[in-house]
Amino acid sequence: MTISQAQQIHEIADDPLAAMDYCYAQGWTDGLPVIPPEEGRVQAMLAMEGRPPETVLAHHPATGLELTVHAAAANAVMAGCLPEYFPIIVAAFEAMDREPFNFHGSTVSTGGSGHLLIVSGPIVDEINMNAGVNLFGPGNRANATIGRCIRLTLMNVFKIVPGIADKSTQGNPGKYSFCIAERADKNPWPALCEELGYPEGVSSVTVFAGAGFCNVENHGANTPETILDTMADAMANYGCISTGQSVVVFSPEHVEIIARYGWSKAQVREYLFEHAKRPRKDLEQLGKFENGYNAQDRQDCHRGVSPDDILITVGGGDAGGHSAFIPSWSRGRGSMMQSQSIGVCIDC
Amino acid sequence: MKLVDPTVPANIQTSKRAPALASLEGKTIGLLWNHKVNGDKLLNETAALLQSQFGGKVLPIVTKRNAGAPAPTELLTNLAPECDYIITASGD
Repeated sequence: MTISQAQQIHEIADDPLAAMDYCYAQGWTDGLPVIPPEEGRVQAMLAMEGRPPETVLAHHPATGLELTVHAAAANAVMAGCLPEYFPIIVAAFEAMDREPFNFHGSTVSTGGSGHLLIVSGPIVDEINMNAGVNLFGPGNRANATIGRCIRLTLMNVFKIVPGIADKSTQGNPGKYSFCIAERADKNPWPALCEELGYPEGVSSVTVFAGAGFCNVENHGANTPETILDTMADAMANYGCISTGQSVVVFSPEHVEIIARYGWSKAQVREYLFEHAKRPRKDLEQLGKFENGYNAQDRQDCHRGVSPDDILITVGGGDAGGHSAFIPSWSRGRGSMMQSQSIGVCIDC
Repeated sequence: MKLVDPTVPANIQTSKRAPALASLEGKTIGLLWNHKVNGDKLLNETAALLQSQFGGKVLPIVTKRNAGAPAPTELLTNLAPECDYIITASGD
């Protein structure tokens, strides 16, 4: 596979440390050192994608800028990705390119979303992703670099640079990297990739413009209701409540209790939706009432518009009553999570 | 060492500005709201102020449902012929 002529080449001295400094000087980094996008490494990354390097994966509606396979590969090298991670990155950008995701708003808003990637299916083990201890934290090359590639690409290709196009008020730690894997061995329900309808053996990546990360702790709960009431309260906190979507990641300890009582994922969704709410008058008083709630015709304002707005998955270490809630960046229906099969085209 | 540039050239788009109005006297004002809180109040009061000074007419406010996405083309092409100028507002 040859390098596309459209991608410029910088010839510099054969000095890796100097090359890292060169990348800084060019403004190509996220503030951390990057792997220089050496031509040979970029070619190795391209070899994982069957389509030509000039194939467009995503485009930005406001600037008209386009992401090619080639540019994605260069940023993947800089992030520190191995070539086998590249199909996830390709799939993630194809998912983000869909209009309901709102590629523009979710990347430049004062709200400051980190683009959460949830990977489900056989690829998790194939490329040694982390679905266990320190799920959202550092230490795993796949999780860290796949998430990082998303941000580097947004900055380098789409010019979504903090303070210039990225107007996030306070930013979001997830803007560095926000990528997790679903934990299959502790999941009492069908895998997310199966739930999404992909054929057996096909892995998926779901992309969600997430506003932040909320640890939901309860070590004393021993019934589904007590765990879910804790989670619902977090989901309805005044700083986050909206008609937007949610991601809920149950720890193995929490999900084991829920499963022990035979609750299905649908039951969990229904319960969370019904209980994650605030009185309308309270939101009005706080200035938090959004016009989108008028369509709900309810006395209380629920998080989301239906139980289907709650994505549920499982991940984290064996020990600890710590689950997570990630609210949507969008305060309404402005960005909807999108999923894509990895490495195969289902609709072709 | 050969490094592949990870960026792409800026997309240079040419566009023309609409010709400036010679006067605001008696003109019809269109209002485009991004649905953010109080944006409608800001636009309506601004239009009322202009109307009090220059006369003319203010159209009912038109709303973009998704603040974070470009205004739908149809919304703009429907509004533009009905007014002499549009006032809109960006941000939170």
